[in-house]
Amino acid sequence: MRGRTRLAGSPFDPAEELSSFLQALTDAGAIVSFVGVARPQSGGGTAVERMFLDHHPRLTQQSLDEVADAASARFDVGAVRVVHRFGEILPGEPIVFVAAASRHRRAAFEAADYMMDRLKTDAVFWKREDAVDGSRWIEPTEADRADRARWSE
Amino acid sequence: MKILFYGRVGDMVGREARVERPSEPATVRELRQVLAEMHPHASEELMKPSLRACVGDTLVGEDFRVADAETVEFFPPLSGG
Repeated sequence: MRGRTRLAGSPFDPAEELSSFLQALTDAGAIVSFVGVARPQSGGGTAVERMFLDHHPRLTQQSLDEVADAASARFDVGAVRVVHRFGEILPGEPIVFVAAASRHRRAAFEAADYMMDRLKTDAVFWKREDAVDGSRWIEPTEADRADRARWSE
Repeated sequence: MKILFYGRVGDMVGREARVERPSEPATVRELRQVLAEMHPHASEELMKPSLRACVGDTLVGEDFRVADAETVEFFPPLSGG
């Protein structure tokens, strides 16, 4: 089944996303979801005022579709969903929502885990953190790269 | 021709620039030189190999000829989601 994705320019409600995902399911017994939220503190411990997620008019959407499609092909899931913000994001706001539904839970857990590891390195975004002591552009961490490498054939 | 900048380099030189359509042969490498001269405060950033050129939604190499391109985009390393 084809994955479904949405790039959101304004705040979204993870509970609404999960609810509409559940309502659309037909024969799933297991649903796993994940929400990533903007942290109030930077890696260095200073207070973050906002995050800015720069994106590309076409390639960002394509990258979300590619992750969802890859998860649908790789795992025995009936449906997946990815919602990802772009633009200005305040601390505490949801940035990303992923969900996966399968008949049994193992595939749903793995598909959600896979989609997040893929999104953290392969999604086409440039992320800037605006903290009280200045702004900095973020690159994937070693941990993100290691997580991405877990899924390579 | 239109040049679009994303991420950190977009903050430094602006999101969009226009340059005169160069005559052949004009490669990405030569375009970078022109842009670095236009923006000397960002020349180091513009000359970094990790800043990739993209034409027609496809990443291209330094020898790619840009004279016929409508738009050339420059991408710093992705942050990921």
